[in-house]
Amino acid sequence: MKSELRLPFYLAWQYIRRGRKWTFFLTTSLMAVAFINLIFISSLFNGIIDGSNKQIINTLTGNIYLTPKDGDDFIKDKNKVLDTLKSVNGVEAASAEMLVPAELKYKNLKGNWQILAINPADESKVTNVGQKIIEGSYLNVNDEDAIIIGRQITGGSDDGGGASSFKGAKIGEKVTLAIDGVSKDFTIKGIFETKFSETDKRAFITEKALGQLMPGADTQATTIVVKISAGQKEQDIISKIHAIGIEANVYSWQEAAGLMKSISESFLSINILMSTVGILIAGVTIFIVIYVDIINKKKQIGILRAIGIKPYIIITSYVILSAVYSVLGVILGTAIFLLVLTPYFQAHPFVLPIADAVLVLDKADYIARSEAIMWVSVLSGLIPAAIITRTKMLDAILGR
Amino acid sequence: MYQDTNNLHIATENITKSYRSGDAKTVALKNVSLRIAQGEFIMITGRNGSGKSTLLHQLGLLDSPDTGEIYINGREVTRLSEKKRMDMRLRQLGYIFQEYALVAELSALENVMLPAMMIGTSKDARDKALTLLAKVGLRDKARRLPTQLSGGEQQKVAIARALINAPRILFADEPTANLDTIASKDVLRIFKSLNEQEHITIAMITHEPEELEYATRHIKLSDGKLV
Repeated sequence: MKSELRLPFYLAWQYIRRGRKWTFFLTTSLMAVAFINLIFISSLFNGIIDGSNKQIINTLTGNIYLTPKDGDDFIKDKNKVLDTLKSVNGVEAASAEMLVPAELKYKNLKGNWQILAINPADESKVTNVGQKIIEGSYLNVNDEDAIIIGRQITGGSDDGGGASSFKGAKIGEKVTLAIDGVSKDFTIKGIFETKFSETDKRAFITEKALGQLMPGADTQATTIVVKISAGQKEQDIISKIHAIGIEANVYSWQEAAGLMKSISESFLSINILMSTVGILIAGVTIFIVIYVDIINKKKQIGILRAIGIKPYIIITSYVILSAVYSVLGVILGTAIFLLVLTPYFQAHPFVLPIADAVLVLDKADYIARSEAIMWVSVLSGLIPAAIITRTKMLDAILGR
Repeated sequence: MYQDTNNLHIATENITKSYRSGDAKTVALKNVSLRIAQGEFIMITGRNGSGKSTLLHQLGLLDSPDTGEIYINGREVTRLSEKKRMDMRLRQLGYIFQEYALVAELSALENVMLPAMMIGTSKDARDKALTLLAKVGLRDKARRLPTQLSGGEQQKVAIARALINAPRILFADEPTANLDTIASKDVLRIFKSLNEQEHITIAMITHEPEELEYATRHIKLSDGKLV
């Protein structure tokens, strides 16, 4: 068989095998850095979005939440509903919450805050507020005069909690809870901070304590939050809940995202913009490096033409070389990203006001950016090689 | 018009070539008409800038004249497409450059094989290349890279590469210019042998008067004209 078709691969392989090792290493490293730059920003935004989504799920709504059916103020007979929900295949846990708008008074400071009456045992199976206690401890099922308060309510020197916060309330101190004209003193048992302001503006008491303030209210719920088992899809479980005929509106956590959804969309726009700029910068950088590398071989290309090597063979050999640079760059970049950067930021997450963000590499983003780097590289090899094979042969040989 | 004869290998008819550098125009060749018969070993001499290399570039189909015609084996090749010229360079002509012009990343053997791989199998190319390297005395250095060879050895590799597709015409642009006396004599002896034993037509540029004795004919250029 004629070797002509194998020649581009043969030449590219020899360029790699016997070319300057430093040039090869630096070019591959540059590709890796350009690739990391592209996936880092995207992964950071994914991490922020993922972090904030987890905050919604873990501190606010669970995976699924139920609200009273239209026209009702409460989900009645909540224990029955909870039992029914827990029997649904794929539901891991459920917790009833009774949200009561109340006035909370601390010393001479008072404000209207969201107070949630919960069964702490159920709640801790769905949300992780109990794990976010920064001072004191979480509620027990039988607590009757204990309250846990979000960091935005207690305030403090570094809280930025705003004018209505309690300016540094501490555990063990008393607050007065007033609901519909009925008041009761509670002791601050714990202070929690989830970094999610929607949650940190809440306070929790037990359903038993609410029953003392509002007799009968402890059998009702304004919201039931549901945690689904790993691997289950929200929409599948929602369908099952609808199927068993629970009289409530059923939503997935995304529908409670509200502001976070628009923040996520903004991140998406910024991500697209920064990725575009990143690809342009990476493209220009890669182009310059490969262009210089190939321009330095101008004379060699001229000689290859002079001895009868067809231009397509010369061009293809440099395109293959560039493709190898990019594939190795992507592999090296991926290795650095997964083995160095991701574990590092897992251990030292970006501390943001809404969540602690780690790097989350999205498969589609990864593939798209890998392809972008490879196409840029291939073009960076193709264009200068094509230009040189089209210049006058003598100019190439004589370096003019 | 040039009339083909059986033993004429190369001919030029009034070829002119000029270069432009900014506003300045340099006429490198002025109406050069030349006949080289099959089996001749022509040495081309002349001062720097006399047009020697320009003439060889035209004959070797590396460049095209502004006016005039070039014939190789009786065929007018002046206006051939680049594709056809490239094919002629590959199959019918051998070209040796002053500065060896080897591919740095390829071994001596691979450099020699390269043109043969364009028209045959790798195995055939390899066998031919090893034979040619043995012929120029470099069989034992076949695996060395150009940087591991002396100037004379590199030039011998370039000669072997020029011969790999068995051309009947060989062009050499000052092949001994960068070589010491011993290496130069080695190269010239190879040329002489190729010319005498294999009847390869050779056109070679030189600056060295003592090299003229290897040629069957000597032509001189001055200011772009044959003297």
